[in-house]
Amino acid sequence: MSSTDKNQTVSSEAAPEAKDSPASKSSGWAVFMFFMIGFVGSLLAGWILFPDLLYSKKEQPIDFNHAVHLSVVYDGCNSCHYFREDGTFAGMPDLNSCVDCHMDVMTGDPEEVKFVEEYVQPGIEVPWLNHSKQPDCVFFSHAAHVIGADMSCESCHGNIGTSEHTRTYEENRLTGYSRDIWGHSISRLGSPEPGEPRPMKMNDCAKCHLEETGHKGACFQCHK
Amino acid sequence: MKEQNSHTNAKRYGMVIDLDKCTGCGACMVACYSENNVPFKTDETNKLDSINWIRVYKLTNNKPYPDTEICYLPMPCMQCDGIGKHGHSPCVSVCPAVATDYDYDTGIVSQIYTRCFGCRYCMAACPYHARKFNWWDPKWPADTEKYLSPNVSPRMRGVVEKCSFCFHRYQLAREKAYLEKRQKLEEQEYQTACTQACPVGAITFGDLNNKDHAVYKLKNDPRAFRLLERLQTNPKVYYLTSKNWVRRAGDNYLAHEEPGNITKVKEHH
Amino acid sequence: MKIDRRSFLSYTTAVVLGGAAGSMLTPAPWKLMDDISIWTQNWPWTPVPQDGAITYKHSVCTLCPGGCGIDVRLAGGRPIKIEGDKDHPVNKGSLCPRGFSALQYLYGPARVTTPLKREGKRGEGKWQKITWDEALTAVSGKLAELRSNGRPDTVACISGSDQGTIPNLIGRFMTAYGSPNFLCTATAKDAMEQAIYLTQGRQGSPVFDIENADFILSFGAGILEGWGGTGRMLNLYGAGKSAKTLVQIEPRLSDTAARANQWISITPGTETALALGLAHVMVKESLYDRQFIENFAFGFNDWTDDNGTAHKGFATAINDYPPAKVARITGIKEAEIPKLARKFAKAAAPIAVSGRGQGLLPGSIDESLAVLLLNAIAGNINKKGGVSVLSDFDYAKWPEIKIDETASKGMQQPRIDGAGSDDFPNTRYLLNRLPETLVAASGDAPIQALLVTGANPLYTMPDTAAAKKAFDRIPFIASFSPFMDETASYADYILPDHTPLERLQEVPAAVGISRQVISLAKPVVKPVYETHHVGDTFIQIARNLGGFVKSAFPWKDYETFLKATLKDHWRTLNKKGWVEISHDLPEPLNYVFNTASGKFEFYPTARVSGQKTIPPLPAFTPVPIEGDPQRFDLVLMPFDSIRLAGGDVANAPFMTKTVDANVLLHQTSVVEINPATARKLGLKDGDSVKLTTPRGEATVQLYFYDGIMPGLIAMPRGLGHTAYSDYLANKGTNVNQLIGAIADPDSGLNTAWGIRATITRI
Repeated sequence: MSSTDKNQTVSSEAAPEAKDSPASKSSGWAVFMFFMIGFVGSLLAGWILFPDLLYSKKEQPIDFNHAVHLSVVYDGCNSCHYFREDGTFAGMPDLNSCVDCHMDVMTGDPEEVKFVEEYVQPGIEVPWLNHSKQPDCVFFSHAAHVIGADMSCESCHGNIGTSEHTRTYEENRLTGYSRDIWGHSISRLGSPEPGEPRPMKMNDCAKCHLEETGHKGACFQCHK
Repeated sequence: MKEQNSHTNAKRYGMVIDLDKCTGCGACMVACYSENNVPFKTDETNKLDSINWIRVYKLTNNKPYPDTEICYLPMPCMQCDGIGKHGHSPCVSVCPAVATDYDYDTGIVSQIYTRCFGCRYCMAACPYHARKFNWWDPKWPADTEKYLSPNVSPRMRGVVEKCSFCFHRYQLAREKAYLEKRQKLEEQEYQTACTQACPVGAITFGDLNNKDHAVYKLKNDPRAFRLLERLQTNPKVYYLTSKNWVRRAGDNYLAHEEPGNITKVKEHH
Repeated sequence: MKIDRRSFLSYTTAVVLGGAAGSMLTPAPWKLMDDISIWTQNWPWTPVPQDGAITYKHSVCTLCPGGCGIDVRLAGGRPIKIEGDKDHPVNKGSLCPRGFSALQYLYGPARVTTPLKREGKRGEGKWQKITWDEALTAVSGKLAELRSNGRPDTVACISGSDQGTIPNLIGRFMTAYGSPNFLCTATAKDAMEQAIYLTQGRQGSPVFDIENADFILSFGAGILEGWGGTGRMLNLYGAGKSAKTLVQIEPRLSDTAARANQWISITPGTETALALGLAHVMVKESLYDRQFIENFAFGFNDWTDDNGTAHKGFATAINDYPPAKVARITGIKEAEIPKLARKFAKAAAPIAVSGRGQGLLPGSIDESLAVLLLNAIAGNINKKGGVSVLSDFDYAKWPEIKIDETASKGMQQPRIDGAGSDDFPNTRYLLNRLPETLVAASGDAPIQALLVTGANPLYTMPDTAAAKKAFDRIPFIASFSPFMDETASYADYILPDHTPLERLQEVPAAVGISRQVISLAKPVVKPVYETHHVGDTFIQIARNLGGFVKSAFPWKDYETFLKATLKDHWRTLNKKGWVEISHDLPEPLNYVFNTASGKFEFYPTARVSGQKTIPPLPAFTPVPIEGDPQRFDLVLMPFDSIRLAGGDVANAPFMTKTVDANVLLHQTSVVEINPATARKLGLKDGDSVKLTTPRGEATVQLYFYDGIMPGLIAMPRGLGHTAYSDYLANKGTNVNQLIGAIADPDSGLNTAWGIRATITRI
C-alpha cells in the first residue's frame, strides 16, 4: 500500500506546481482531465484488458463430453478418476482406461473418431490440459479429502461432471498454471458460485483448513 | 500459539540405531539417495558440500594398534523436539522464511525447498550438521533423470535440504489408511528408506509415544543415548552401544564425568 | 488549447500518474506481483519426475555373483528404486550399496549406447557409431578368416564368470568354433575348489554353511564386506549376531574385524601356519572328531603305500607347527593359539573360512588346503554348519556339439594360459598368465582375436600396465560390455550387452550357499539404448559363421535357449522368480569321496600327479612377496571395501559418493598407515607421498590409522579407473597397477596378497 500513498503524494505535489505556473492557468483542469484519462484508462485496462492479455487460451485436444460418460458408467466420477489400491489417486485416466470401451469408434462422433484415430490407434497418451495442475512441490491427498473428510468432487472441481464440452483452458502466460488455480475472478473477491471450481492457491488451502480443522497445518502436510 | 495445538495424542516418530550392529556398509546412504532424489557430483569427497541426508561417520577409540576399535555412526536429521519437547528445534527457531517447521502431529521437522531462500541460518544452528546446501543446480547426466522418484521434489541451487524421515512414505501410508477407513497406521506401514535398507537390521523406526512400537522400549534400553544430549535439543534419534568410548564420543564430557551419570536438566513444560 | 513543451510534460505526467493511481485499484499489479514470484520459481531445468501408479517387479541382482533377490519399484512403468526382496531365500531382503545403486547402471554416462568401431589409436577414445549389422559382420568376418586359416585356437574369450547359461552358451560357442581358450576371471573359489578336489575327488562349488554354524573362524575373509554374497552374509549377521561368534584373523582392523567378537592381527601371508598350528593343538589335545577320522579319513596317520614306501600322515606333519613356532611366524601371542584352538574345537558348530576380503584373490593351495583340513579334523565335512560341495547344476545340459575337423584340431591345441596342462593339471583358468605368454611368444601373437564379456581385465589384472602392453599384441579385440570400461575403451569393436535390469538370465545360487537356488533375472524395462543381449549376439555370430558352428545353436535366440535349458523350472521361475532345487543336507559321508582311497584324504594323493614335486601335505612356506626389502621398507596390501567395487563391475556414482575422505580425497587415493610407522619415517597425517613398488608408483595421501599392523600400507581396490565417466575416472590409484602376479607353484593361480613398497614425501 505504501507505494500507492507515495504516488498519490507525488501527484498532489505535482498539481500545485502546475497551478502556480503563470503560462498555463487554465491547464489545471486539463491536467486533471489528463490525470483522469490515465486513471480511467488504466482501470479499464487493468480490469478488462489485463486478464485477456495475461491468459492465453487453449482448447483441449479432444472436446470431451463428461455428461455422456457419466450417464453410462456405474460408479460416477470414481469410474475413471479412481483411487488405486494403495490409496493414491489416479487423476486423469490414461489411454489404457479409455481403451476398454474405445478400442474402436463406438458412436461416430467426430471427436471420438479423432480420439481413436489420433491417440488410441498409435498408442499416444492424450495431452490433456489439467485445470488443477499444481507445482511439483505440492503433495495433495485426494484420499484425505474425499474419503477422510467426505468431500465431494464438485466441492473443489465444480460441476465438471455435467459438462457437455470442455472449457477453454486459460494458461497464465507468466506462471504456466491454469487460471483456475488463481480463481476465475481476477480480483479474488467474493467466493465462487456453487458449481464453479474453487481456487487452489496455498492460501485457499490454508483458509479452508483453518476453518475446518482449526489450524492451517504444517508445511509437510501439503509439501514434498 | 503453535504450542496450543494439542499434541497429547500426537505421534513422535523416532529412530533407534544399534551401533553394536552397524557394519558401516553404507546401504542406508545409497537407499536414501535413491529414495529422496539426492543428487551426485563428479567429486563428492569434500564432505562440506556433499549432500547426504544420512551420513555414516567412522569413529575410533584412538588407542594404538592392536587395541584399536572402530565404530560406525549413521547420522540422519535428529528431528529435534527442542527444550521441553515444544518443537523449538534449533533450525526451526532461526528460519526467517518459515521454510522449515515442526509438525506437531508427527514430530518431524520439515524443509520446503521452494520456500527456502538459502540464508543457511539453519545450517549454522544445527549442532548435528544434518542440513546441506545446494551450491549448484543438481545435474542428472545421461538419462539418470528418468529414475527420479515422483514422491520427493528435486531440489534446485540455493536451497537447504535435509532428512525428512521419508515423510512422503508417511503420506503414502496415510493415503492407504484413508482408503481403508483407518485412523491408525501400523508400525510396519511407515518405515524410512534407511530403516528398510539396513541389511543387518541395525535401524528401528516407529512412534516413540506408542507402547506397541519397538522404539518405545528400545529408547529406554540401558545402552541407549543421544548425541549432544546436554544441549537439550531433544533429538528423536537414539543410539545403542555397549561401548563406553562410543558413548563418550556422543557428547563433550569432562574427564571426571561419566556418560549416563550426568544430572539431567529438568524439562519444563 | 495550446500545447507548449511545459504543458505537454505536465499532461504526460498527469496521464502517467493517473494511470499509476488507477492501476493500483485494478488487480493487475497485485496479480502480477504474485505471478512474477511464481515465475521466479519456475526453473524449467529442474526436473519434474512424472507420477504414475506404483508397481513392483521382482528380479535378481546380477551386479555380483551373490544372487540377491530385488524388488524394483516403478512409477508409471518407470523404475525408480531398488529394494531387497524379503522373500528371496538367498538374501531375505538384505542388499548391499551396489544393489541399491543398480539404477545408475541402467542409466548413466558410462553406458555404451550403440555398437562402436574404433577410430584413431587404441584407447584414444575416438569412436564411430556403427549399426548392429556392421558390428556383427566385422566380428564374424574376423572369426571366419581365422577359422579358414585353420587357426581357430588363436581366438580367446575372457568371461567374468563360468556359472549359468550365458557363460555356458559362450563356452559352447568357443568349443563349436574350435578354441580351447575360454578364460575366466579367477577368485578365491578357484583355490578352494582345488582343495576340495584334492581331498574329496569332487568337482563343484565350495559351500560354507554359515547359516547353521555358531563359531566362525575367518582367515581374513571379509564376511561383512562382500565375501560369500554380500546380501546373504549381512542378513545372517543381522539375524544371528547374538547366536554366532566371529573371530577375524587379519593384519588390518577391517569392517569385519571391527564387528567380530575377536580380532586377531596376523603377519600377512602366514595364515597357513596358523591353521596348521591350530590343527596341531587340536590333535595334541585330542580335540578332533575321532569318529570322522577313524571312519572316513585317509592319511591322517602315517601310512605305507603299495610299494612299501612309508609316508608321514597329517597328524605327524603338523608336529612341525607347535604354538611357539607358529607364534614366531604369525606374530600372534603364543598363549592365544591354544586358546583359539580350544574355542574352535569346543564350539557346537564351528567353521573355518578363507579367502581374503571379498575373495577376489585366489591365494595359495596350501592355505585353502590347511583351512579345509582344519574343518575336517573338527568333523566339519558335509555336515550342517560345515563345509560341503555343491555339484554343478543339473539343468545345464544341452545337445552334444558336433564339431568339424577345424574345430577339433583347434580344440586339441594347448590352452594359451597353461591351465590343465601337466604343470597345472587341476586348474581351469589362469588369466593372470595370459600377458606373459603373449609377450613371450615370438612371431605372430598366439592370440589373434580376443572377445571380452562380463569382464574388465585391463582394470582387474595384476600389473595393469603390463597387461595392456600384452593386449597390444592382439590384433583384434571385441568387447561386449554395456559400459565403457577400461577393456572396452581399449577394444576395436564394442557390441554392447544389456545392463542387468534389462537383461534376461538365470542366476545360479549365491557363492557358498548350501542349497541349490536358481533365480530368474527378468528385464524390468525394455532396453533403453541400442543394445543386444550378449547371448543373442553370440547366437547371431554363430549363425553368420555357418556350418557346424551354426548348427550347434539350434535356438532362435537366448530366451528360447534359456527356456529349453530350464525346462520344468521355467514356469516356476517365471512365476515365482526363484526355485530351490533341493533342500537336502549334504550327502551322507560314506558316499561322497571320489578319491583314490575312497576317503577324505588328509594326504591328498592326487596332488602328486604332474611333473612337479610338491609335497602333498599342506605345509607353510612363506608366500614370496615381490621386491627387495633393502630398497622397499614397507609392504603394500590391497583391501576390499563394501563401498567400492573392485572387480569386473565398477562403482556407480552413488557408491563413490559414500566413500569417506580418508579413502579418497578429490582425485587422490588415501592410504592407511600405522602412525608409529609413519612417525619413524618422519611423516605426518595427511602428507602427500610418492608410493613406489617394483611395479609402479603413485601419488597418494597418508591417513594415520591405528588399526593397521606397523610396516603395512593399505589401499582399497576399486579406485583409479581410467575409463567409464567423469564420475569414476581418474579418481585415485588402481592398486592392481602397483602389484604383480605371483603364481602358486602348485596351481599357477595368483597368490600375490601384497608387494613391497616405499614412500617418500613430495
